[in-house]
Amino acid sequence: MGEQLRDKVAIVTGGGRGIGRSICLLFAQEGAKVVVNDLGGAEDGTGDSLAPADEVVGEIQAAGGTSVANYDSVTTMEGGENIVRTAIDSFGKLDIVVTPAGILRDRMVFNMTEEEWDAVIAVHLKGTFTVAKHACILFRQQRSGCLITFSSVSGLYGNSGQANYGAAKDGIAGFTRAVARDMGRYGVRVNSISPGASTRLTATVPQSARQIREQSGIQTAAAPQLIEARRDAEDIAPFVTWLASDESEGVNGYVFHVQGGEVSLMNNPEPARTLHKHGRWSVEEIASIFPSTLGMDLVNPAPPQMPREGTS
Amino acid sequence: MPNTLNDRVAIVTGAGRGIGRGVALMMAQEGASVVVNDLGGAVDGSGSSATAADEVVAEIVAGGGTAVANHESVTSMEGGEDIVRTAIDSFGKLDIVVTPAGILRDRMVFNMTEDEWDDVIAVHLKGTFTVVKHAAILFRQQRSGRIITFSSESGLFGNSGQANYAAAKSGIAGFTKVVARDLGRYGVTANSIAPRASTRMIATVPDTARQMRRQREESRAAESDPASELDPQEIAPFVCYLASDFASNVNGQIFLVYGSNITLLTQPRRTRTIFKDGRWTLEELNELVPKNITQGLPNPSPPLPSRQ
Repeated sequence: MGEQLRDKVAIVTGGGRGIGRSICLLFAQEGAKVVVNDLGGAEDGTGDSLAPADEVVGEIQAAGGTSVANYDSVTTMEGGENIVRTAIDSFGKLDIVVTPAGILRDRMVFNMTEEEWDAVIAVHLKGTFTVAKHACILFRQQRSGCLITFSSVSGLYGNSGQANYGAAKDGIAGFTRAVARDMGRYGVRVNSISPGASTRLTATVPQSARQIREQSGIQTAAAPQLIEARRDAEDIAPFVTWLASDESEGVNGYVFHVQGGEVSLMNNPEPARTLHKHGRWSVEEIASIFPSTLGMDLVNPAPPQMPREGTS
Repeated sequence: MPNTLNDRVAIVTGAGRGIGRGVALMMAQEGASVVVNDLGGAVDGSGSSATAADEVVAEIVAGGGTAVANHESVTSMEGGEDIVRTAIDSFGKLDIVVTPAGILRDRMVFNMTEDEWDDVIAVHLKGTFTVVKHAAILFRQQRSGRIITFSSESGLFGNSGQANYAAAKSGIAGFTKVVARDLGRYGVTANSIAPRASTRMIATVPDTARQMRRQREESRAAESDPASELDPQEIAPFVCYLASDFASNVNGQIFLVYGSNITLLTQPRRTRTIFKDGRWTLEELNELVPKNITQGLPNPSPPLPSRQ
């Protein structure tokens, strides 16, 4: 058994399955006491069950680790507060919060329902806030703590059919950058992981959707691969554990992409090229200069296609 | 009168004041018929009044342009649909959607209330979706259209005291990149503007907050007060350019616009990478990450000694 998180207390939301589960297991192996939070819902957010969280807690205890289950939904302020309180009530303190809990409800934007939008924003974006806010109250008082959120290449690059998920995940990246600035002065570290992993979430994306993207020449969110990529959920946990440990002191406000054996620092958006003029631009002036300056090299990620015959 | 948007029909949300107003006025000048949407609420989202939108419509009409007011809230699906229907009912079609409508409710994350979070996410993020979704139904059918959303440096780079606003504005950037991919094949473009301008929204950020950030030497979006003395009308020319035929293949991009500056922002990319054919151990990461990934990374808000 490792020592890297000895005596730390951690919360992992969505800890019952996939990426969250493997983080719980490695945290416990490294000596942390873990609150395994999972509502036990389906991939689309419906239903609930005690089983996923309980099974992970059972697995941790069987291996000699310390863990307790929590089944609250992250989507309410009360849920977030109760998850944090479970750590305090069970283990007396809180050091680490990790928030991979998420669902998927893919749909092209012109067909997306209000319910599909609201459900995804609630679990990912508000569900990150509800837990982070209550943890930050403690972190500020104790002048230490570590928050690790989950973003996604779907939001950072954009992925067709995921307007809700892309909004939520890029929203989490922005939330993380702001909270890093709120909390850094109190000795707290706030960072985000963009994971590449095959889980039951990605299994809900139909193969036909991937094929359509390829056939239509639409750029997908997949970052260019270094080599044939592994996509094991278990591959995300080691770097998250490093980030949660004292080894990452001073690392605050960044997004990291983790997939298989790859760990990358993502850049925050930065100015590429600038046009400046003395006075106010006219549309014609911009039109005359844009293509050869800012517009050069710009690639349309989904170029216009000819309409298919017989369809509208 | 210039005519780069002749015969176009445009919706501008939050067009009663500030940046939205500047966009609505210039689009009308360029020949577009404009739906001026504004709930007429206060900066914090409370209240409503028909005056703000009506005054901009009157100003456009007095200048010889064509405009109609809409007073719906962007926060409901019905509101978004009604705003789009106003364009169809009044002008028979829709070509351009611009969504600067927004509010501010700043607070440090540990003090932020559920209402402060929900209200800001509702107006910015859902308020962008409700209008864009209904416009996208038409844009797909007609195989053309322009979507111009509003992001912010606060979300793209991070700003203390704005966890809600940063989440919403960065979320809009992600939303826009997805919509660009959903609709590009239909000849539609979707881009986002991160504006700097002095508006009534920026005026709600207390000077003490700016001073505190400076004293703490936090790195932030801009070196000095970015929005001081910047005319919100200066955002309009580039928005009109993106809405015009000139920009038919500019899709999925984020631009920083302030004063007479127009800046293309980079797409996300990996800057430093370590790779192993297999799963990392913690011992390996302890050794390699500080040397290769995190070395020299500035902490934007370094720890302060606790006050006695």
